[in-house]
Amino acid sequence: METLLQIKNLKTRFHTEDGTVHAVNGIFYDLKAGEVLGVVGESGCGKSVHALSIMRLIPCPPGDIEAGEVWFAGRDLLKLSESGMRQVRGRDIAMVFQDPMTSLNPVYTVGFQIVEALTLHMQMDTAQARQRAAELLTMVGIPGAKQRLDNYPHQFSGGMRQRAMIAMALSCEPKLLIADEPTTALDVTIQAQIVELVKRLQEELGMAVMWITHDLGVVAELAQTINVMYAGFIIERGDVHDIYKRTRHPYTLGLLGSLPRLDEAPGTKLVSIPGLPPDLIALPKGCPFAARCIYRIDRCIEENPPLMPADGLDHQVACWRWEEIAGRTSS
Amino acid sequence: MAQITVQDLEVVDFAVREHRSLWKDAWRRLISSHTAQLGLLIVAVFVLTSTFAHFFWEYNPKTDLDYTQRLKAPNLIPTEEQPEIHPFGTDKLGRDIFTRVVHGGWNSMRVGLVAVAISLVIGVPLGLLAGFYEGMGITSLEQILLMGLIGLFLGLLPAWIAMQPIQAFLFAALGVAAALLPNLRLSKRARLGLFATLGLLAGGIPGLMVAPLVGLICGVLGLFIGAMLGTNLGGKALSDIIMRAMDILLSFPGYLLAIAIVAFLGPGLEKGMIAIGIVGIPVYARLTRSAVLSVAQKEYILASQAVGESHGRIMSRHVFPNILSPIIVQGTMGLASAILYGAALGFLGLGAIPPEPEWGAMLGDSYKYLSSGAWWAVVFPGLAIMLCVLGFNLLGDGLRDALDPKLRV
Repeated sequence: METLLQIKNLKTRFHTEDGTVHAVNGIFYDLKAGEVLGVVGESGCGKSVHALSIMRLIPCPPGDIEAGEVWFAGRDLLKLSESGMRQVRGRDIAMVFQDPMTSLNPVYTVGFQIVEALTLHMQMDTAQARQRAAELLTMVGIPGAKQRLDNYPHQFSGGMRQRAMIAMALSCEPKLLIADEPTTALDVTIQAQIVELVKRLQEELGMAVMWITHDLGVVAELAQTINVMYAGFIIERGDVHDIYKRTRHPYTLGLLGSLPRLDEAPGTKLVSIPGLPPDLIALPKGCPFAARCIYRIDRCIEENPPLMPADGLDHQVACWRWEEIAGRTSS
Repeated sequence: MAQITVQDLEVVDFAVREHRSLWKDAWRRLISSHTAQLGLLIVAVFVLTSTFAHFFWEYNPKTDLDYTQRLKAPNLIPTEEQPEIHPFGTDKLGRDIFTRVVHGGWNSMRVGLVAVAISLVIGVPLGLLAGFYEGMGITSLEQILLMGLIGLFLGLLPAWIAMQPIQAFLFAALGVAAALLPNLRLSKRARLGLFATLGLLAGGIPGLMVAPLVGLICGVLGLFIGAMLGTNLGGKALSDIIMRAMDILLSFPGYLLAIAIVAFLGPGLEKGMIAIGIVGIPVYARLTRSAVLSVAQKEYILASQAVGESHGRIMSRHVFPNILSPIIVQGTMGLASAILYGAALGFLGLGAIPPEPEWGAMLGDSYKYLSSGAWWAVVFPGLAIMLCVLGFNLLGDGLRDALDPKLRV
């Protein structure tokens, strides 16, 4: 499959009064057309910021995309003009946000907002766009779509709003859908429905999906490739099976280890990774995870490991001792 | 017992509520509240009486004099002493106070409406721009426009001092140049120096043509403006400039500022409207900015950006409708205070020009006769002011409850 999105050395900073926040610190990866990529990591690790950087939706100032290239369908998005970028947003890359309660404008009907996106990018007149909007709502599983078009967002439930947001995002048949924690604000049953929906639509439409989440269970079900992020770095990347079965980075191990399990004996304490992520204003010289890592050696404090190939299909890891970890955890 | 069969059951999609617009919802809530009902009633009475006054009670302020009927007490039944009915009595020139109160309502209402309209038309866009660009990245085209405008605006000061309008345009050009050449391959300090020098020249040379001292003053001003433009101001600077200007306006006591503006423009109802309108601008600008700041944080603004909408479109279609309710409420309350301001100016003789009836001016004409027992000449126009202000305030309160987004389902 051809490469759809290629990110090279992307660096995003926020210049605040307390100092410069190093939100994204030089990440490289490729995304193939039709691929589903899961981006996981804890809060503040740069998942959302890197997605917003791709869309160039970082408010600058204080934000600043300091360096890097974002190649999308043969163009560097970071070099496009603002109006050129507006053409890409919504039509080529669409985005679904975390909180469905606030991501629809309360003063317009749901139909109006979908129609707006359609008329903006697809050169449709209002009647055609309304027709298409109703089809889209049906596609995302909202019954009575025709009548629902005239509803206001407050007349929708949370799950329906997120469905409507997905319909809006898919309205212009984007090549890439970025879903920024789309299920975090929903309860578990609705979460499962939304995941199923995106999976089905992805198969039908063949678009690439970038699913940003901190829920490892969700991406396991959905993604083919996983990027694990920590402190603005990608610290492990690989095929979903490799990540789960042949985990090579101590942080990913910790993440997987801290998942509560159903077959655990009652009363067992939840496992957690000790310590806190590093201060993004003053990043350590070495590996950002060193301070919390049980496998730490002197080299980790001195030198930040680059993302290097590990065993397995396209498996990459940023750890000096991945081979030893591989030996201990062996699949 | 009757059996209910499947056929008897009607299929109702009860999840779908009847389609109702937000405005209809708000209207329903408004008319179901007692305060708002009272406010609406009072406002309606005043609006109707003053609008239709010309049809029912014909009145010509210039010819309406009757010295035989000076300061007569209110009477509802004609007597021998007072053959004409004066429900509110007469004033010092024997004019019927009821007619004047009714016709004065037209003037007071007009002052309120026009003044609030002036405040809104200037204040809301200023607040919208300030709030929107405070947290939003600015595009290069907008940057050019912004820098040009800042240059023009700041350049007005030296241009005014030196009486050389061309200076303002020189500074506008300097601003555009600064925006067009963001890098210039210069260090920050060198760039600052370059623009400061250019500002010095743009301010100093036209100033020198007038007088050496003017040249010096304008040169120093130009130096500062140039240095400021050299730092390549962004959206935050726009917001700062607008809001500090509003703070300056707000730092004057309202009545004093209104009087000063009327003194500058000259007395008259129209000048009073302008003065009151200017006094109200910062209130609306601040209110709008704060509302915009909170709306701009909402995810639907990010979502509309992610759909690829332009800044102008986001501002007009997504931000503006969401900040309308506080503006409507403040506008209604503002009507009340503008009427009060109008009356105050009238009382001081700075509003309506004498024979013209106006509530404040009527008070100012008659308060001297209070000591001689002519209470009616003061009480009725005063009551009119009070009731009218009360009506608008009650209506504003009701509107606030009706439009409160927290009450929405």
